[in-house]
Amino acid sequence: MGHSTPPDCQPNSTSTLPEQPGVLVVRKHHFLVRWTHWLNVPIVLGLVLSGISIYWASPIYQHKPDPNTGNFDVAADIGIWICARVPGQHHYSSPPDWIYNHMSLGPGMLALALRLHWLCAYSFMLNGMVYVAGLVMGGGWRSLLPRRTDLLDGLRMFRYYLGFPFAKLARRQWLHPLFNTKYNALQRAAYFSVPVAGLLSVATGWAIHKPMQLHWLAALFGGYNAARVWHFWLMWIYISFVVPHVILVFADGWDTLRSMIVGWSTSVERSEVVAK
Amino acid sequence: MNYKENGDDSLQPKDIPSAGIGPIHEMAALPEAGPEHANSPVPMAIANEKPEAVEATKQQEDADGSPSPSVDHRPRTDEAASSVAVKSVSLKKPQCFFGERPLPAMEMAPRVLRYRSRRDFLVFGAGALATLTGAGFLLPQDTLSRFGVRRNVDSPGKEWFLNKALRIDDDVAEALYSGTRRVPTYTKSQITLLKNNYNGTTPDPGYISGWKLTLDGLASGLSISLDIRNLLTRFSVHEQVTRLVCVEGWSAIAWWAGLRFEDLLRAYPPMSQAKWARVESSVNLDGSGNPDPYFMSLDLATAGHPQTLLATHFNGQPLTVDHGAPLRLLVPVKLGLKNVKAITRITYVAEEPRDYWAERGYSRYDGI
Repeated sequence: MGHSTPPDCQPNSTSTLPEQPGVLVVRKHHFLVRWTHWLNVPIVLGLVLSGISIYWASPIYQHKPDPNTGNFDVAADIGIWICARVPGQHHYSSPPDWIYNHMSLGPGMLALALRLHWLCAYSFMLNGMVYVAGLVMGGGWRSLLPRRTDLLDGLRMFRYYLGFPFAKLARRQWLHPLFNTKYNALQRAAYFSVPVAGLLSVATGWAIHKPMQLHWLAALFGGYNAARVWHFWLMWIYISFVVPHVILVFADGWDTLRSMIVGWSTSVERSEVVAK
Repeated sequence: MNYKENGDDSLQPKDIPSAGIGPIHEMAALPEAGPEHANSPVPMAIANEKPEAVEATKQQEDADGSPSPSVDHRPRTDEAASSVAVKSVSLKKPQCFFGERPLPAMEMAPRVLRYRSRRDFLVFGAGALATLTGAGFLLPQDTLSRFGVRRNVDSPGKEWFLNKALRIDDDVAEALYSGTRRVPTYTKSQITLLKNNYNGTTPDPGYISGWKLTLDGLASGLSISLDIRNLLTRFSVHEQVTRLVCVEGWSAIAWWAGLRFEDLLRAYPPMSQAKWARVESSVNLDGSGNPDPYFMSLDLATAGHPQTLLATHFNGQPLTVDHGAPLRLLVPVKLGLKNVKAITRITYVAEEPRDYWAERGYSRYDGI
């Protein structure tokens, strides 16, 4: 990488360089937080895809077998419905597998899905511990803690997001609620609850992985079968977090996205507000 | 990499992630800002920054010729930082341990920012590329085909890697196992339906009349054959209502009765070096009804668990063909696939024996 340094960075050029104004930046994310954040992308994706492949082997949501097809899986019903109603899917070769072909590694590969799931699950736990270490070392955990005012502020933010598209269309001014913290109340709620969901996913995962040796853990979630339902719905927390998360990051702009890669941000006003 | 580390240090003495240290370093860089540290601001600044700057300059002169992008800016950045930061930092001491702290602001030369951004983006891109390669390596061909990706060969490295992950999980399961920890038992009112999950075709009941259990690998060196009456008269029958958990995810609570494996081990002790039992059913059939012997490895520690039964009865009735008449293994601390139906032979061995499902990509120990 030494080769990529521009030639004017050579030591002798110091005195001849014109004075450039410095850029004021703030440290936003500890590097461990950044690394674990991005590592989570393939890990959680792997967990979801292999998880739904595992789900295929014994779906939680079943009904009495259909007298004609013998199908009992609600996810297969959804696939059949999609192929019947959604344009462009009418000629799909195997409608009951539609969900599994689009949201998992595929049907009928339990052994491989389990192995990938364990690989990703152990990586996820390790990654989670490093993430927490990064939060502690960078002091970032303080910005994630819920506040007493969060309920009201969160509703205010929610109202802002709801009204934003309409205000844009009507070309009306739509003011962003003021706050002087690193995150707004909705962000804080999301960034606090997703790690908690991660912890619960790990706990319910162990409960259904070792329901005999860790039967107390399964009992904590209401038994083996209930722990499976927990584990399944915790996945949907990630999915329902990731979609608005990605949209809002892009809506918020380059500085926010870049700060998760490089760690710093040039929007310093907030830090000044906090500092004063 | 080395010069980069040094570059970082010399550039940003205040760029230290720990929140506890952060403010002090800012003080060091910005002596005017903190009156409470006014007794020694200048020496601190010198102590923190000057030696590193010198060190970095020395690095410049190293024979490797790796340029440190930071050194030329050093003096100017210092001045700028102190003049700008006076404006931005008038820090109050945080009152509460849990209270949010202001983000540390600092002045950086644009060139340094560019250099560091480029470095971070390159690392990010390399990581993304490595992840995609890893995914292409690990994911099954069926999945990749949907993205139009064709992998020419299935590398043995993939199997090795995934087996490694599987072994780690098996080791964890083995570490979690305790010979004295009992699995939860239920009342008979909690019994649920247990489906016949014979892997292939359910065998014809004709085999039951001539059925015998053969024991091999015994301390006596003999091969012992027992019929069901021998077993039921020689050993006391125990009952339990336990949960059977399948690798597929479903489970069933059932009422079982049979003899303890532990008692069989005591009556017919295995040879001294044996650590494993190979449990086999020769009556097993594949999907099209052809003989497909089912064999499974069981560690003797688990075989000796007090709730490991050689079950003869299911829900108060003698076992039916569906459930492995006349004798099946019931080992609730293992996945259902270890609970061999219609056992015909148990062989005690020193080395871990082959396992039907482990050969098909599942784990071997299967402790739950």
